[in-house]
Amino acid sequence: MSAPSLFAEQELIDSVHAARNAATPLSIIGSGTKSQIGRPAQSDKTLSTAALTGITLHEPAEMVIAARSGTPLAEVERRLADKKQMLPFEPMDYRPLLGSTGEPTIGGVVAANLSGPRRIMAGACRDSLIGIRLVNGKGELVKSGGRVMKNVTGLDLVKLVCGSWGTLGVLTEVTFKVLPKPQRSATLVLHGLDDANAIAALSAGLGSPFEVSGAAHLPNGVERVSATLLRLEGFDEQITYRLDALKKQLHRFAAADYVEGAQSAALWRSVRDATFLVEPRENAVWRISIAPSKAAKIIAEIKKSLTIRHFYDWGGGLIWLSLPATGDAGASAIRSALFGTGGYATLVRGPADIRAAIDVFEPLSPALRVLTAGIKQSFDPDGLFNPGRMIAGI
Amino acid sequence: MGIAFPIPDNAIILRREAIISGLSALIPPESLITSEDERRAFETDALTSYRRMPLAVVLPTTTEEVAAILAFCNENGVKVVPRGAGTSLAGGAIPQEDAIVLGVGKMNKVLDINFGDRTMRVQSGITNLAISAEVAHKGFFYAPDPSSQLACTIAGNIAMNSGGAHCLRYGVTTNNILGVRMVLIDGTVVDIGSDAMDAQGLDLLGLIIGSEGQLGVVTEAIVRILPMAEGARPVLFGFETSEEAGACVAAIIGAGIIPVAMEFMDKPAIEICEAFAHAGYPLDAGALLIIEVEGSDAEMDAMLKKIVTIAKKHGVKTVKESKSAMETAAIWKGRKSAFGATGRIADYICMDGTIPTGQLPYVLRRIDEIVKSYGLRVANVFHAGDGNLHPLILYNCNDPEEANKAEEAGNDILKLCVEVGGCLTGEHGVGIEKRDLMRHQFTEIDLGQQMRVRAVFDPKWLLNPAKVFPLDGRISA
Amino acid sequence: MQTNFTPEALENPAMQASEKILRTCVHCGFCTATCPTYLLLGDELDSPRGRIYLIKDMLENNRPATPQVVKHVDRCLSCLSCMTTCPSGVNYMHLVDHARSHIEKTHRRSFSDRVFRGILAAVLPYPNRFRVALLGAAIAKVFTPILRHLPGIGTRIEAMLSLAPRMIGGRSTLERPQTVSTEGPRRARVALLTGCAQPVLNPGINEATVRLLNRMGVEIVIPKDEGCCGALVHHMGHEAESHSFAKKNIATWISESEGEGLDAIIITASGCGTTIKDYGFMFRDDPEWAEKAAKVSMLAKDITEFLATHELPATIRATSHTVAYHSACSMQHGQQIRDEPKKLLKSVGFNVKDVPEGHICCGSAGTYNILQPEIAGKLRSRKVANIQKIAPEIIATGNLGCMTQIGKGLSDTNDSTPIVHTVELLDWITGGPTPKALEKAGLGADMAINTLAAE
Repeated sequence: MSAPSLFAEQELIDSVHAARNAATPLSIIGSGTKSQIGRPAQSDKTLSTAALTGITLHEPAEMVIAARSGTPLAEVERRLADKKQMLPFEPMDYRPLLGSTGEPTIGGVVAANLSGPRRIMAGACRDSLIGIRLVNGKGELVKSGGRVMKNVTGLDLVKLVCGSWGTLGVLTEVTFKVLPKPQRSATLVLHGLDDANAIAALSAGLGSPFEVSGAAHLPNGVERVSATLLRLEGFDEQITYRLDALKKQLHRFAAADYVEGAQSAALWRSVRDATFLVEPRENAVWRISIAPSKAAKIIAEIKKSLTIRHFYDWGGGLIWLSLPATGDAGASAIRSALFGTGGYATLVRGPADIRAAIDVFEPLSPALRVLTAGIKQSFDPDGLFNPGRMIAGI
Repeated sequence: MGIAFPIPDNAIILRREAIISGLSALIPPESLITSEDERRAFETDALTSYRRMPLAVVLPTTTEEVAAILAFCNENGVKVVPRGAGTSLAGGAIPQEDAIVLGVGKMNKVLDINFGDRTMRVQSGITNLAISAEVAHKGFFYAPDPSSQLACTIAGNIAMNSGGAHCLRYGVTTNNILGVRMVLIDGTVVDIGSDAMDAQGLDLLGLIIGSEGQLGVVTEAIVRILPMAEGARPVLFGFETSEEAGACVAAIIGAGIIPVAMEFMDKPAIEICEAFAHAGYPLDAGALLIIEVEGSDAEMDAMLKKIVTIAKKHGVKTVKESKSAMETAAIWKGRKSAFGATGRIADYICMDGTIPTGQLPYVLRRIDEIVKSYGLRVANVFHAGDGNLHPLILYNCNDPEEANKAEEAGNDILKLCVEVGGCLTGEHGVGIEKRDLMRHQFTEIDLGQQMRVRAVFDPKWLLNPAKVFPLDGRISA
Repeated sequence: MQTNFTPEALENPAMQASEKILRTCVHCGFCTATCPTYLLLGDELDSPRGRIYLIKDMLENNRPATPQVVKHVDRCLSCLSCMTTCPSGVNYMHLVDHARSHIEKTHRRSFSDRVFRGILAAVLPYPNRFRVALLGAAIAKVFTPILRHLPGIGTRIEAMLSLAPRMIGGRSTLERPQTVSTEGPRRARVALLTGCAQPVLNPGINEATVRLLNRMGVEIVIPKDEGCCGALVHHMGHEAESHSFAKKNIATWISESEGEGLDAIIITASGCGTTIKDYGFMFRDDPEWAEKAAKVSMLAKDITEFLATHELPATIRATSHTVAYHSACSMQHGQQIRDEPKKLLKSVGFNVKDVPEGHICCGSAGTYNILQPEIAGKLRSRKVANIQKIAPEIIATGNLGCMTQIGKGLSDTNDSTPIVHTVELLDWITGGPTPKALEKAGLGADMAINTLAAE
């Protein structure tokens, strides 16, 4: 690492020590674009990684890139695009949905395990993440993983920290395994399917050998006519062949046309960023993770007591829904519908008072709570980092 | 040999009868093995140079039995060494005298399959290949394919975060598991993850996978199954030098092509594999690449054309494409039996380190130097796409001096891997084999953080305690 | 693996041979995946790797076999599936054979075990005695509900009685020594091993073999003093006895070979074939018999092996029947003969299908289905279920033991699919009579016969 960044990392460590000595909890941010996600902050002081910038390693032939945590995501993506590569997990931009401003950082992406439509084929952020450096709550610089993908040395703290929303430590550097950017990308569109049939169509597509890299369904609550989307990415000849073959395979559900290039890309950006649910701004927005075969039933169940707008990603395995932010913003109805299904829900947008009152993240079983609290303790014994961000009391 | 085991707790050994009596109340007689002869078969795994007789062996058939056993051991301070099929090359399943072996081999059923969601629920004692075999008729498979997949269990795969040749495209175990049912040392049964795509809260699943049996015993797993490609075709590329082969790999990736597998073998490895599999490996090549592509016939033709063009630019001397399913099976059979086939000509230690792929030619040269300096021979098999290297150090295990030299050569090679920016183990796990090298890769602080996390699950160090972490400097909280 | 034999121990040729085998095992565990007992029991001790480890410890220390070692070695089917799977070339067969003879020399079995095994060894290899025993079994069957409760041997008696056929046919003309010459020019001369249990239980197999070979211009000699190949007692560890049987056969075949000459020794039961092909190894240290035994092993050919290198006669019947080919363990693993029988059946018009999990034993394994009835029963059910998955019209195989075992499994599930020997089908299609089993199942009556070719 170069001198200025070592300096920045050292400053970070000093700040943590200082917070420890003063017993002052900290809100960890990159540029704060996702500060509104989670239970409201229980700390007055903010610790930002904004000074930790710069790409520290990029070996295209080895498909690896490393950057300091405060590096803007856009910079990482640009550098990769220069070499015709990309972050496979297609991280979303939360700013439209949350109405936040600033430049999302790569560290924030990792802390939130942001994973977009391509997750179903290429894996989530945590599947691409292969190395981290972080400062834990004892002010220690801990590293886990490295710059090689095949790495099973010791406990996998890389996975543990990804998606921990800054509660375990302050990331200072992250390393990813990347993929080549596909030569061509096209999207098959089927119109008029209801939720159950749409998910069946998506399952059929995902069960085909054509490497469907995006599978979403926009019900007619978010689109005038419902649209079921399947994305194919690859080499030119591959896509020509696969589009046709997949069309044929899905013909039993509906006829399909397709879009390409900028149109296709724009469609998936909207799916990725949940732009369909940005308005009305006052609505609360939930993110539900569930096995696709159960998704349509769950929505039907929820609709019995709530008025919602929703759409599906990940072949039906991810449901975004919005509803009025009244009462508990639908928390009990949603959670009781999910009970026993193996699925769970997270409130990603909602007024601070509601976020303080309900379980924003899925409540933990007693056994999981013990483990989670223990792990938090092992990283951050004094509870400095984002206390209560995910679970009250942890 | 050089790797130490913890000093057995004599108090436990003295109480052996009582412990066995306690265990016998928890499981049927055919699940409890106590005679000396019979315990002996469990004293080692595939790292046979180390052997320790366990106190007893239990082979439970249900999660409830596992919970009862662990709770009992926790109360009585008895250590537990979990075991799948005992195929670990790192000594992951080797027991100790004050421990029982808990084998999951009897829990091998498929519990549920959902083709729409592309998930399967299985008992953890089922073999890796049996999972794929179960869904092959519908055109699906379970992707991670360690070379021992015929025999190894998913429990072992989860413990070690196993990889395999095809993980270049499909990821390793941790990228293909959605949930586990695990029993903690105090007997608590906890479900982590589910059939949903990502789990709630902290990624405990990611932590558990690769934890080498130190956080709990996994009895069930929910795995992802993937649709099989329309076809798969391996091609053999023979090069004169490893430099050329390595450069070819880099160029293929640079062209945006990610084949489903890219395997490298040096000349000694080629000879060993060909002698067993008779797959038509070119015996005159200094280095061999097996590159496999998937897709429809037309897609594979197009992809291979691109790859062959690149290979030609890098001096390829032989190109052999598989023309039938049988040839494909033979080509892979050779590669996947490499370790066992080596046993035909000599005893060996199979190493497992990862290096940045660009470092291959340098590392191969250094490996050759290191092994020669000990007076031994080596054959190298390498996952070219992801840098995972398997040097097979040949020696005579009946000669204690050679055995020591082989072990030291292996250690030197692993240190080299770390030196060039890689790591000690890419897929076999730390076990006992690399335990004492952990400080080459991690600082005390790094290890401390890992051990504090470990202590959340097993503060008394009862689960597989001889493994992963150096024996000195351990912390319990 | 590392071995710890003393130099003195290694002076014993059997120990030396076994030490070499043990050195090749790298304890990789691949063998566990294809072992039938490991599949059923999930216990390392009942896997080849575990057995190798137990045997290693026993032989290294030259210790008497303990009851535990005996238990697990007894459970081994000797199906040799492990040898097919092993990437290191461990000769498990020779190791377990050595272990069995070591067990018999150092371990005193229970009284009932000894008696039972003694009876099997005294009866099965001798067709006349076997015939008498089967008559007795036909009568005793009715007492099975009582007999099965006898302590220690009840389940074995039950197994034995359940496998015995209700009726056996009269003696075949092929049971006495003779030469069956060809009508036309003689293309080859072979000896035929008529076997011990086979001529009693299913004489049709040898008869079909002789007809077919004759049709092909092959002269068949059934020499004097030919008898049981010794496999049965060999697998019980009775080394002296098995060598005695083997020597008789070797002597008579060598005499034929040196006399009028032999192009092959034809064997129609793959279980026997595996043992006869091992005669060379069995007598390697016997200066008087080594060369002769090796010659016999070289001449020994399974009937399908022999047919695969000769031209079959023209077919006289047209068939498109679906045949499930059950590949006996001794055939596919013991002798590594996999494709020849299927190719032969396909070449005469059958639609041949593989049985799922085809590498897993049916549980017959010589006398295993009598000595280990529980495991054998489970394997039998599994095999029958696998065969039923592909719904064949006919089941063909190359080993009598399998036919008996699978036959019982089929009748247990009220499945009347006929099971025949591969050679019976080949004989039938090229001019022989309809095999009894097919007649019973009502097959073949409506098949077109090419009368021109039949002449």
